[in-house]
Amino acid sequence: MAEALVVRNLSRRFGGLRAVQDLSFAVGDGETLALIGPNGAGKTTSFNLITGYHRPNAGSITAFGRELVGLRPHAICAHGLARTFQVARPFGNMTVLANVMTGAFLRDRTINGARKKAREAIDFVGLSAKEHVAARDLTTIDQRRLEMARALATEPRLLLLDEVMAGLNPAEIDQAVALIGKLSKRGLTIVIVEHVMRAIMAVARHIVVLDHGQKIAEGKPDEVVANEEVIRAYLGTGYVHGAVSGAARC
Amino acid sequence: MKAKRPSPRWLWLGALAAIAVVLPLLVSSAFTIDIFIRVLLFSFIGIAWNLMGGYAKQLSLGHAAYFGLGAYTSTILLIRFGVSPWTGILAGGVVAALASLPIGALCFRLRGPYFAIATIATAHVLMLLFLKFRDFAWGAEGTTIPNLGNAPLMMQFDSKLAYYYIVLVLLAIGLAITYRIERSWMGYYLVAVGEDEDAAEAIGVNALRIKRNIYMISAFLTALAGTFYVQYIYFIDPNTAFSFNVSVEAALVSIVGGIGTLWGPVVGTVLLEASSALLQSWLGSSHGGVQLTIYSLILIAVILWRPSGLLGVLTDVYARIVQARPVKKEALLDG
Repeated sequence: MAEALVVRNLSRRFGGLRAVQDLSFAVGDGETLALIGPNGAGKTTSFNLITGYHRPNAGSITAFGRELVGLRPHAICAHGLARTFQVARPFGNMTVLANVMTGAFLRDRTINGARKKAREAIDFVGLSAKEHVAARDLTTIDQRRLEMARALATEPRLLLLDEVMAGLNPAEIDQAVALIGKLSKRGLTIVIVEHVMRAIMAVARHIVVLDHGQKIAEGKPDEVVANEEVIRAYLGTGYVHGAVSGAARC
Repeated sequence: MKAKRPSPRWLWLGALAAIAVVLPLLVSSAFTIDIFIRVLLFSFIGIAWNLMGGYAKQLSLGHAAYFGLGAYTSTILLIRFGVSPWTGILAGGVVAALASLPIGALCFRLRGPYFAIATIATAHVLMLLFLKFRDFAWGAEGTTIPNLGNAPLMMQFDSKLAYYYIVLVLLAIGLAITYRIERSWMGYYLVAVGEDEDAAEAIGVNALRIKRNIYMISAFLTALAGTFYVQYIYFIDPNTAFSFNVSVEAALVSIVGGIGTLWGPVVGTVLLEASSALLQSWLGSSHGGVQLTIYSLILIAVILWRPSGLLGVLTDVYARIVQARPVKKEALLDG
């Protein structure tokens, strides 16, 4: 399988803190990979490095055959990588439609074309009824939906989702899982940072576990949750997948 | 929420344009026409400022830099090289647009209030430079524009009416440009950058480039106002051309009227300039300072009660009178 994203020996320090240390992993085209680990393990920093918000101190990031280190975020998005933020960042004074159109303008500068694409993305995430609502008036889950629609409107090949399920109730998590499954079926490559283990087990084909900025394990979901070190560092000794209803923590 | 009534809108616009054209013919007092000219001029400067300060929320308090560059460019071309201000006005625009590139490169590294402070500094530095350039730009004493009588080709007229119509055309151009930008991808990108630059970058918006481009357009338009102004008052010196008042007024009329809206700067100027001119003529001679007090009270009232600008008040009132449609709280960009 061709590789969509290859991260090699990535490191980033913030002062004395090694936020990410010598991290390497690869995501196959069309695959869904989950980055998990305790808070402060370097998951969001990895996202910020991949999407150009931080510059790595060392290492390389290649997406679809192109080196991303040194590119600004907008150029990385134009190359086909779209992200969501851990805390949704909608343009509050715009309506849902205008927010998503702003994303769609990347590939289509016409108002009508962008509106059409935006409506498709809004429909896909199930926000059509709230098209003309101001983004600041949306609920948390709807803001996440909006952010996903806005990212999708840029027609990415690779989608990076940063804790899209935090704070959602079990029914909403099921909806989100179904949505990610739908995206994956369309052939989109997905990298997801998440704490909700139930969701990860449902969507991820491959898991990378981080702790203190370092990769401590990676592999298929079943292997990873059985890994001694992962249980010690993150899941907790009582963790038995399926027995604990839902999540290691949520 | 989406207004699908194109014909009434064009009717309104036509009526407004007709009033604007006929209005100066109905008054004979030069003083009143002077007030009209100032209202139109500052509406235009406000519109130029609003493109960047309103839509993209890059709060510049240094637009006098471009006003002054426009004024000086056309004046130097006129006096030193005999170039008509009609050419000079465009040359001034180009000079200002080019000057906005290095100024922007420096200032856009900063965000929010730091950006505003840096822009104040740039206008001030330019003022100091022109104070020092005695040989080239007449230094602190400035210069008068040679009066050629009625010379339309040199942008000089006996009648104030001509100046009125020139600035009216400038205003129409400014409104048309804003209208076009607002309804294109660029308008969406500007608002997005104004709302959250990082989030805008995440969906492919080149924030630095869009800010640089709108700053150039804004600087160009502001410079046109500068040339017009010296041709109108026949005098230029660094303190007038790079006056901090111009920078503040440009921002103020937009903020009072409604930032990031097409008509906001016009509404703001009509209220502020007209009230200040009227108050000055009524109270200026007898009660010194009272007009400034009232002017300030208007400002305070607007900022306390309508921080999104007066345009919202007008559309609310209009909505209540004309039809029972949902009241928009403030400018909201919709598809």
